[in-house]
Amino acid sequence: MRNWGPALALALSVSLGGCVQTKQYADVQFTLPQGDYKLLVLRPDVTVGSLTTGGMVEPRADWTEQARANIIAALRAQQAARGGNITIIEHRSEVPGVPAQELADVERLNYVVDQAIVQHKYLGDYLPTKRGRGLDWTLGADAVKLGQQSGYDYVLFLHAEDQVASTGRIALGVLGLAGCVVGFCAPNVGGAEQLDYASLVDLKTGEVVWFNVVDAASQVPGIKFGELRTPEGAAQMIERLLGRMKPGQAVQRAEAAR
Amino acid sequence: MCARCLELTRRSLLLGGGAAAAALHTGIASARVRPADMVPLIGPGFRPTDKDEQGLWHEMDRVEEEIAGSNLLITDPKLTGYLRDLIGTVGGPAAKDFRIYLARIPDFNAMMFPTGFAVVFSGLLLRMRNEAQLAGVIAHESGHFLRRHMIRSWRDERRKTDIFSIGAMVAGIGGAGAGVYLGDYVQLAQLGTILSLFKYSRDMEAEADAMGARLIAGAGYDPIEMATIWLQLIGEERSSASYRGKHRQHGSIFDSHPSDDARMADLRADALDLKVPGKVYDNHRARYLATIGPIRQMLLDDQVKLNDPGASEFLIETLAQDGWDGLLRFYEGEVWRLRNRKGDDVRAAQSYAAAVVYPDAPADAWRWHGISLMKSGRSGEAKAAFSKYLTMKPNAPDAAWVRQMIG
Repeated sequence: MRNWGPALALALSVSLGGCVQTKQYADVQFTLPQGDYKLLVLRPDVTVGSLTTGGMVEPRADWTEQARANIIAALRAQQAARGGNITIIEHRSEVPGVPAQELADVERLNYVVDQAIVQHKYLGDYLPTKRGRGLDWTLGADAVKLGQQSGYDYVLFLHAEDQVASTGRIALGVLGLAGCVVGFCAPNVGGAEQLDYASLVDLKTGEVVWFNVVDAASQVPGIKFGELRTPEGAAQMIERLLGRMKPGQAVQRAEAAR
Repeated sequence: MCARCLELTRRSLLLGGGAAAAALHTGIASARVRPADMVPLIGPGFRPTDKDEQGLWHEMDRVEEEIAGSNLLITDPKLTGYLRDLIGTVGGPAAKDFRIYLARIPDFNAMMFPTGFAVVFSGLLLRMRNEAQLAGVIAHESGHFLRRHMIRSWRDERRKTDIFSIGAMVAGIGGAGAGVYLGDYVQLAQLGTILSLFKYSRDMEAEADAMGARLIAGAGYDPIEMATIWLQLIGEERSSASYRGKHRQHGSIFDSHPSDDARMADLRADALDLKVPGKVYDNHRARYLATIGPIRQMLLDDQVKLNDPGASEFLIETLAQDGWDGLLRFYEGEVWRLRNRKGDDVRAAQSYAAAVVYPDAPADAWRWHGISLMKSGRSGEAKAAFSKYLTMKPNAPDAAWVRQMIG
């Protein structure tokens, strides 16, 4: 008698639900933006694709545009509730007083700094020099200059990628689950996955004051956890990514002591 | 029973290995693609209508925006205009749709992106001896777009990974049901999938070559120039490798381009097909040199500083087949000076001395000529060379030092 029952049960319980993880870091002195702050959001970097049967991600133009529109709407609603003045630009030339090339430079610099943050805060290459110092990265003088030229207090960079399991991928997952019956169990071929991250830069100091990553993945194709193609999915993503922003450690300690 | 299992597995491994080797063999010795068969698959103003291709284009719009705003680009309007005119001549039906960017990267390369914009590396401009050769490379890149290689390649890869995933799943389930472990089969199939991907890519390069030869012949350039480019690339790679004590790699299985030798042979055959007997072909060398003239010193300087003396020496000697000049002689000297092996100082001194004879010798040639003379104790002549340097470059960063040397 084959002993596949427990394996199947375990596989089902572990992976059927999918998995949503978030982990945020903040500058130790970071306080949540409050009052009448001016926030600039550079064109959110969004890609939505279809996960093919073989596991490749095929970008889809229509889904991406739809998702971007949903995200922008959700972001406006979320910020309106906070009371800030938000400007979301579509093109680099849309910030008065700032040449497009200079904005592009800040955007590229931020991209590289974000990569460093992910490398050293999330992927395990922790730096001993930054231990216990919260989020300790800066975009430097270029970001300060951007703030002076544009009059904004903060700039928010937003990245979202979402892959939707295709029918073929779902079928492959079903096949993998069905295999458990004969002893070849492959329920975890991998399904839809969403990766989002955001970084907030204080334009008075140039420092990256807050960073957050949301990774939502399902091992079994066909399980969904909020697609960016739908307004509800986009609102859920914005809530997960930006809704639970916490102040820095020093600020939290001071509040606790009071 | 277990011994039989092993037997089966070993035989299947050999079988699979043989199949992989056969695939490799046919990959290199595949039949020549004839220029006459290479008709463009798209017309002017092409826009994608399929979902997958629209997705690819959408992604590429952002890529192009980044490249167009990159600070690596050379934006001199005369040079960029020249490249635009050239792709307008050899771009076939899409001639008016192409965009072309020139990046300052000292490497022999050019690439076409799926939406019809090309990036040419500055190292290509240094290597091309005339306009016909440059047109050949640009036409090859146009060929990738006109033959829709990017989306064809994407669809092929998607189909193969799909088949592989389903095959792996079915093999696993079937094997489990029958009580046989088929893990090795799955491994081999994976290698086969990768190999066939590269095979497809080699075929596309061969198509782009044939299409390119057809395009430049149609624009009035001699199609044999396509083969000359490859002859030169092979020579440069050999020279670079032999200097470093290595052998040039021949068509390895993971080469995405066809082996250079096979490619050159095919291009020669293409040229014979396309050439019109009795027709006089102009390679427009003068026009080409006049256009790249203002940046030629920068191109040579970037190359020499790569610290690849084998390639640099080969390259300078190849360019000098069209005649030596002061710039080439000076940079020949720089190759020796920077290599700095025994006797290289003497070789460098000879090159500098030869360089300053030409009216187009750069100021730095006079500077290094002066230093070489000073070293060999000919201070009188050295001072004359330094004076010439200061006359040509009065605001040189080392002017004070040179004045002190003159005394």
